Amino acid sequence: MAGRWQWFHRLGSPKWFYEKTTRWLPWLIGVMALLLAVGIVWALLFLPPDYQQGHTSRILVVHVAVAGASLSFFPLMAVAGTVTLVWRIKLADMVAKNAAPLGAWFTFLTLATGSIWGSVSWGTWWEWTDSRLVSMLFQFFLLLGVISLRTAIESAETAARACALLSIVGCINVVIIKYSVAWWNTLHQPPSPISMEVGSPNGPEFWVATAIMIVGVYLFLAVSLILATRNEILERENKAQWVRELALRSR
Amino acid sequence: MLTGIQFDSLSEFFAMGGYAFNVWSVYALFAIFLVANLALPLRRRKLILRGQKRRLTVRGADAERAGKHGDKAGWEVSLAAEGAGEEQ
Repeated sequence: MAGRWQWFHRLGSPKWFYEKTTRWLPWLIGVMALLLAVGIVWALLFLPPDYQQGHTSRILVVHVAVAGASLSFFPLMAVAGTVTLVWRIKLADMVAKNAAPLGAWFTFLTLATGSIWGSVSWGTWWEWTDSRLVSMLFQFFLLLGVISLRTAIESAETAARACALLSIVGCINVVIIKYSVAWWNTLHQPPSPISMEVGSPNGPEFWVATAIMIVGVYLFLAVSLILATRNEILERENKAQWVRELALRSR
Repeated sequence: MLTGIQFDSLSEFFAMGGYAFNVWSVYALFAIFLVANLALPLRRRKLILRGQKRRLTVRGADAERAGKHGDKAGWEVSLAAEGAGEEQ
């Protein structure tokens, strides 16, 4: 284990992760808060009304950012799951376990905001024949499946391995979600090509707010997942000396 | 790039060109989503640490009452007793 693999196992040490994130979190939270604030204010006040969608285009700034980030959960859980299966690093499973419920939140918000936008622009809240909508709903149920698989299997180690496998298989659906708008063109539009020219249909006055929001939402994903993983560490490592000292020092 | 505030009055801002329900419900959901996923883990952290501290101090106090550890504080006893077994 010594030598060139040392960094890998140190990276997998819950204590190492906890101490590093204690130092990173204030910065991550600061930049996240700033970007989200700028993104929200820009989207609500400064975004020009779209020539077709009017003020409902303000919804898309949130929708696009959250939807994009929601697609990262299965790949993330699959990578963490592979590390769990191959190297049995505890930390990877702690991340995977807490990613599933957070992913369900992201996916739910994507569906809800999309539906609220669609009720105006498409004149319908839901369309069963649209592949993007249905594959996204499927991702929501897949995530609920991963969460219940974890609680249903009594042995923690077996549960971790089963969830890892389901996460790897679930990545297929991410590909389907991603390309659904190109393969079956029904209601949901493909991504609009961005333009550098002010005044064009998707010029910078529209997409810069979205770009800021995307970075802000990804940082939020990271912060929230780190906070949940740190709790998991405190619970699973509650017999370790450093966790006990931390608890005794807490108020 | 920034084309100025798009509304002339506050009431116009709230009305969102007739789509107040759609725009504001999306931003309300977004706010709940952001606050919940930060506040809930922070609250849980507090509960975990509090529970852990209570367990440790209660065990320490039991040992203290038994009078085996001289003038050590209860939590010092529990740390010493339980930590000793874990460290390899």
